[in-house]
Amino acid sequence: MVGGRAEVEVETGRTVRQTLESLGIVPEVVALVVVNEVQQSKDYVIQEGDVIRVLAVIGGG
Amino acid sequence: MNGYGGKILRVNLSKGEIKKEPTPADTARDFIGGRGFGIYFLLKEVPKGADPLGPENKLIISSGPISGMMVPGGGKCDWTTKAPLTGGYASSSMGGHFTAEMRYAGLDSIILEGISPKPVFLFIDDDKIELRDASDLWGKDTFTVEKQFKDKLGEEYQVAVIGVGGENLVPYACINHDYGRQAGRGGVGAVMGSKKVKAIVVHGTKSIPVADKEGYRKAGMALYKACKDAEGLKDWTRYGTTIVVSWCDEVGALPTRNFSAGSFEDGKNLYGPVMREKIVITDKGCFGCPSPCGKYSRTKKYGTYVEGPEYETIGLMGSNLGIDDIEAVAQANLLCDNLGIDTISAGNAIGWAMECFEKGIFTKKDTDGLELKFGNVDATFKLIEKIARREGFGALLAEGVKRASQKVGKGSEKFAIQVKGMEQSAYATHNATAMLLAYMTCDVGAHHNRSWAITYDLQVGRDLVTPEKVARVIWLQNFRPMFDVLGGCRLQWVELNIDRELYVPALEAITGIHRSWQDLEKVGERIWNLTRLFWARENEGFDRAWDMPSPRFYQDAPKSGATRGQITKLEDVNRLLDMYYEQRGWTLQGLPKTETIEALGLKAMVA
Repeated sequence: MVGGRAEVEVETGRTVRQTLESLGIVPEVVALVVVNEVQQSKDYVIQEGDVIRVLAVIGGG
Repeated sequence: MNGYGGKILRVNLSKGEIKKEPTPADTARDFIGGRGFGIYFLLKEVPKGADPLGPENKLIISSGPISGMMVPGGGKCDWTTKAPLTGGYASSSMGGHFTAEMRYAGLDSIILEGISPKPVFLFIDDDKIELRDASDLWGKDTFTVEKQFKDKLGEEYQVAVIGVGGENLVPYACINHDYGRQAGRGGVGAVMGSKKVKAIVVHGTKSIPVADKEGYRKAGMALYKACKDAEGLKDWTRYGTTIVVSWCDEVGALPTRNFSAGSFEDGKNLYGPVMREKIVITDKGCFGCPSPCGKYSRTKKYGTYVEGPEYETIGLMGSNLGIDDIEAVAQANLLCDNLGIDTISAGNAIGWAMECFEKGIFTKKDTDGLELKFGNVDATFKLIEKIARREGFGALLAEGVKRASQKVGKGSEKFAIQVKGMEQSAYATHNATAMLLAYMTCDVGAHHNRSWAITYDLQVGRDLVTPEKVARVIWLQNFRPMFDVLGGCRLQWVELNIDRELYVPALEAITGIHRSWQDLEKVGERIWNLTRLFWARENEGFDRAWDMPSPRFYQDAPKSGATRGQITKLEDVNRLLDMYYEQRGWTLQGLPKTETIEALGLKAMVA
């Protein structure tokens, strides 16, 4: 999924980290978590109606 | 010759002589441009044992085939020389618009030779090329000088200028351009200062011939489309390199208090979105860039206007110094840029000094009365000035952490965070073995640009010591710096993850020569071995000891943060190095084997 794009619906009440893991994504490779256009940590608990964007660190430097 | 300006400009500053030579076709075929031309001229023309600050050293500035072209990121030039900081190879990539203008003046390389008897600037306006008096510019800061030229000549004239740091031969003095871009590391600014060249001003109106105009247009548009369609474009452009501050903090890669840890308890005040909201006023890019990563900032606290701070400066002048105020980091950035010293080396050196102070190795008597505790913003600002002017306590720090710690002793060498004499840039590597190896074996010293491998470390297992990790580092070292050879930026591939195959038809349409990425990586491998041979030639007894990391990364496990309690074992450091040498075809002491040199077709070059 690196470099690609996907949209999924996720459950509320779980953290971003837990949700990533359940989707088979290693949380450590996610650089940025933006919820409703505000940066959040991966421990943010997802609420009803939240729009979450995650960006992977593909490269750097 | 398709794809090239066609001329090498030689400036003999001792004699005041300027001449142009045609760019040799076989050099262009084999070394392509940029960093490739740099190592070619460096090896051929700088004699063994040359003093980096003496008349025999040369400063070689090279554009590449995609510089100034309608290809994303065609805004980089390479500055190659023998490094005052390390005594080895220096190659610094500078963005902005200088490379494009240089090409439009018909120049593939500019070679500064000898030493001018008095301060001069090099003026290039198409075929009108002169050395002009710079005595009224000497001593002025870089922004003032650049603005003076722009106001007088016009915005189209591109300026590369040294500050007081370069004039004072600070071993990590940089060269400034477009107010916010630098040829940053290794002391390229000091070499320019030693030659008494304050600035290079360039303007041109010529065209670059291309082999296939329609093919070039199509390939360039395909590359721009790929950037435009990239999933990460919006966030990358919004935050630039600051996009990774939070991530590095989270995974223990953010240098904190002289790399004693990889996470900073107040790090969240330095994160990209916080910076964007607090101080960023616009985005700024280089020539031909569709994804401007530069963040132009203004602080209310200090009245700063600066392009930056970048991730590196946030790491080394922020968390590394225990400073969590993004406005202070921006101001420190501005001071360094105006004075013309590398923010990475300066921040690293100040962090070392703070640890020394906190350990009682220095007292206020040594530090000109400065209370050098972590977090002291005012002391940081004062030290930057002192370093650039080599005054007082700044004179010691100006030497770089390797020499400074050797002079001071008292165990301070153990926490000088450097490799080969170059201060490590802003990734803490207590537990990230590919990135650690990358820093150990980078060809200019401890810099991250060649093989940035931390994501890979985290994907496969950060403490693994495997041949696959080593192979990954080697591949990145052969591949990534090829953008410096082509005269462009790697960040479109690195950050937007566009398909690198799209560059192949562009390069072929421009130069008329087909080169696959396999071909390009072969050139990269050849250049890598040549730069290694340069180190060996210039440093008596050069061996694997030169590739060892700071002992911090195998002795001092962090006491806090994401990598608390984690450290790399010394035996694993050596295992990594052994595997690296084996895969590179080098001896166990780290020198290219004869058969490797022959297999790469380099025998004639190093004869």
